[in-house]
Amino acid sequence: MSEIERTDEVAWDHVITSKKRVLDINVKELVKYRDLLFLLVRRDFVAQYKQSVLGPLWFFIQPLLNTLVFTVIFGNIAKIPTDGIPNMLFYMAGTVVWSFFSLTFTNVGMTFATANGLFSKVYFPRLIVPIANVINNVITFGIQFLLFLGFLFYFLLAGSALHPNLWILFLPILLIHVGLFAMGTGLIVSALTTKYRDLRFLVGFGLQLWMYATPVVYPASIVKPSLLWVLWMNPLAPVVEFFRFMFLGKGIVNPLFYSISVVESLLLILLGLVLFTRTEKDFIDRI
Amino acid sequence: MALCVSVDHVSKQYILGNFGYGTFRHDLQSWWAKLRGKEDPNAKLGGPGLGEANEEFMALNDVSFEVHEGDRVGIVGRNGSGKSTILKILSRLTTPTRGSVKIKGRVASLLEVGTGFHPDLTGRENVYLNGSILGMRRWEIREKFEEIVAFSEINQFIDTPVKRYSSGMYIRLAFAVAAHLKSEILILDEILAVGDMGFQQKCVAKMKSLGQDEGRTIIFVSHIPGYVKELCTRAILLRKGQMVMEGETLPVMDEYERELRG
Repeated sequence: MSEIERTDEVAWDHVITSKKRVLDINVKELVKYRDLLFLLVRRDFVAQYKQSVLGPLWFFIQPLLNTLVFTVIFGNIAKIPTDGIPNMLFYMAGTVVWSFFSLTFTNVGMTFATANGLFSKVYFPRLIVPIANVINNVITFGIQFLLFLGFLFYFLLAGSALHPNLWILFLPILLIHVGLFAMGTGLIVSALTTKYRDLRFLVGFGLQLWMYATPVVYPASIVKPSLLWVLWMNPLAPVVEFFRFMFLGKGIVNPLFYSISVVESLLLILLGLVLFTRTEKDFIDRI
Repeated sequence: MALCVSVDHVSKQYILGNFGYGTFRHDLQSWWAKLRGKEDPNAKLGGPGLGEANEEFMALNDVSFEVHEGDRVGIVGRNGSGKSTILKILSRLTTPTRGSVKIKGRVASLLEVGTGFHPDLTGRENVYLNGSILGMRRWEIREKFEEIVAFSEINQFIDTPVKRYSSGMYIRLAFAVAAHLKSEILILDEILAVGDMGFQQKCVAKMKSLGQDEGRTIIFVSHIPGYVKELCTRAILLRKGQMVMEGETLPVMDEYERELRG
């Protein structure tokens, strides 16, 4: 008995048991590891272009190539209308927002698969890794967004009928919204892939389909008005249209469906965090 | 000396064989069959009871011990005795099935050298990355940086990507980071079995001085009796997941060596 009493006098820092709480996030600990967060962001960023000929230029080449391919295939060959906006600009707006989502989603979704070596050897708050991924992709988006702005100015000077408007101020909220949505869905996938390996292949394929269900290569205005609600079921559809509306002045903004999309992203991030923190505790026993 | 680690009736159970099917299709199939009241098409032949496929395996079975501040504890045992499992639990990599572990103070756990080293980054960059993975703040690493480089003996290569390092250089740098961590408790796994003899001796000496001069608590797993005898003040002998002996280093090591001889 005396032994137990003595044990209880100590102010323990860590108690390790099999108990799992529903949402187990230690914010204080996350803050303590902020240097690691910074270094991981830096590592992933630098490692991306070390030993490549074009280096950081790749951040521009990727969206440019995407835009070019879309312009040729969907603009020039399939002749899909673009709301009267110059093709290049129309596709670039779509691809910049879409890749922010798809890259974040993929990276976060692969957390346990890519950081397995690290996770099985050393403890640190696991959430640091997906958070670093999100920050990384925000930076990438920032760079690609500058490219988009460059094109926008060029077309404005050339006299295209574009109407950037004050809704631009809403951009930070749109970014947080997409970021949370991508992180939430990514966390759910990352937790599920520790159990179902084959989900990884499904994700790549599903992402492609998802892009075509999002008005990236076509405007929402070509969808029959009576069927538009089907398009809005996709939480990313209102986002892309809203982004185009801010900067180009064309796009269908539906406040109701946009708000639903925001609520969905909040629910998904919550569910994602719950699943992730449940998985992280002992996933090395199962991988 | 005050208590800093308390391992209280810890057991860890693993399930042998298959659990779950690992693919979504199979799980869906089983779930769908169950829903319709049919037999699970993926059930093991013979059904439950006849040669249960999922046998349980106790990697640790009701292990309890305490570590006090400044102790240098060696955990010994043959392969499969549960050494690595107890280290994983102490390092918070996994949770015990039953029982609890309580820890007071900062833990630095080295189950591998150079965890998180990125081949494309330079030695300097990796020192910072590795240090912060192990829980150091940036200014703490900066403070110790010169010492780390000096200890690793790779001064002139510190700004070269580590993929160009020889394996010896790589390990020296990694150990140097670890040895200069600021933590009250240091958990080490077998990592002395790296580098040449000269460097191994240097590592043991360094760890001994961490314990003796800085009063740090060290938990050390090894199956090389010589190092345990040199370094540890206490030892714990595990056999098939159970603790068979605990106490002064020498008697425990005698028992372990007897076990080794069979």
